[in-house]
Amino acid sequence: MHGTLKRKQMVIDVLHRGRATVPKTEIRGVPFMPKCSRLPDVIFVFGFRTHFGGGKTTGSGMIYDSLDSAKKNEPKHRLARRGLYEKKKTSRKQRKEHKNRMKKIRGTAKANAGAGKKE
Amino acid sequence: MAAPEVLESDLPNAVALLKNLQEQVMALTAQVQALTKKVQAKAYPTEKGLSLLEVKDQLLLMYLMDLSHLILHKASGGSLQGHAAVLRLVEIRTVLEKLRPLDQKLKYQIDKLVKTAVTGSLSENDPLRFKPHPSNLLSKLSSEDEEEDEAEEGQSGASGKKSGKAKKYVPPRLVPVHYDETEAEREKKRLERAKRRALSSSVIRELKEQYSDAPEEIRDARHPHVTRQSQEDQHRINYEESMMVRLSVSKREKGRRKRANIMSSQLHSLTHFSDISALTGGTPHLDEDQNLTKRRKKVPKKGRKKKGFRRRR
Repeated sequence: MHGTLKRKQMVIDVLHRGRATVPKTEIRGVPFMPKCSRLPDVIFVFGFRTHFGGGKTTGSGMIYDSLDSAKKNEPKHRLARRGLYEKKKTSRKQRKEHKNRMKKIRGTAKANAGAGKKE
Repeated sequence: MAAPEVLESDLPNAVALLKNLQEQVMALTAQVQALTKKVQAKAYPTEKGLSLLEVKDQLLLMYLMDLSHLILHKASGGSLQGHAAVLRLVEIRTVLEKLRPLDQKLKYQIDKLVKTAVTGSLSENDPLRFKPHPSNLLSKLSSEDEEEDEAEEGQSGASGKKSGKAKKYVPPRLVPVHYDETEAEREKKRLERAKRRALSSSVIRELKEQYSDAPEEIRDARHPHVTRQSQEDQHRINYEESMMVRLSVSKREKGRRKRANIMSSQLHSLTHFSDISALTGGTPHLDEDQNLTKRRKKVPKKGRKKKGFRRRR
């Protein structure tokens, strides 16, 4: 019921006596809230913790209006879990070195970019 | 009825009383007639008055009329048994008694109105005096009053000096005054708290159940001593569910939780009873968990980052 972020968010309690903790894909597959039937595509669930002794797991979930709003509003790490987002792989050290190189140079952008590669 | 000697001795007293009564009745009749004339001449208009007082006036008048009717009836030898006026009197009396708490509630207002009507201005301690007077903000050379708005009675902000006249200076109660809680008071408070804790311990509760006549209740209640750890856990769970995040558990937190679980899961409560020395007057023996919570004084500043969750320790 989150109008700005265009999603419904909820706390999910899974009761699964006799079974191991239910995987997230299965939880997404369960038809949620028959009134607003959505594809599992736009359902994002996370944060599942099983209580001591087993049988019950609690987590949260979000159901988006559309995949586009999901791509816009969902945090990147959750999108990455589903393969909808790839983060750049430059390491932290590389980025900092690049920045320090840039600090020494003043001038047109092309020269700057070239300088980064050169030194 | 009474012996003739008693009657004889009472006779002069009775005659004196009757004469007295007659004089008083004549004086009273004169006064009542004067009052009636004034009321009929509309000297006391009550349209703009308090309706409660109006009702009370009418009720009291009706009461008086019924009462005098009954006295007349009784004086001419009749009996009061089952007389209709008696019932009316009872009814009026009940209504008057029910009005009494209303009266209490209005007492302050009525007193203030009367005082204002008599003296013509508000008294010095009237809280209404402390409402803002913008006209006072204009600088008049002779007086600069600053009167602030006050919500509660009895607490004065900057109570201003009267303009020009020399009034006694009352210092404003702005700065909190040092409160000396002596060691004795602290000791007493500690004892009180220990007593309260002892009263709710299992030993005392069992004694109560043993001696009370009430039926035994078997309830699926939570642990009566909601420990700090369980409250923390509950707080954590509520936060996690409402904010939809998972909070990390530090090592210290894990250790605390483990200790709390151990203490409640063992048969610790079977053999260790809580300390009721506050009631019996013996020497207090501290339980283990009390010691542990008092240890840490130095709180590390780092790692206190989780916004909004951590309570002040």
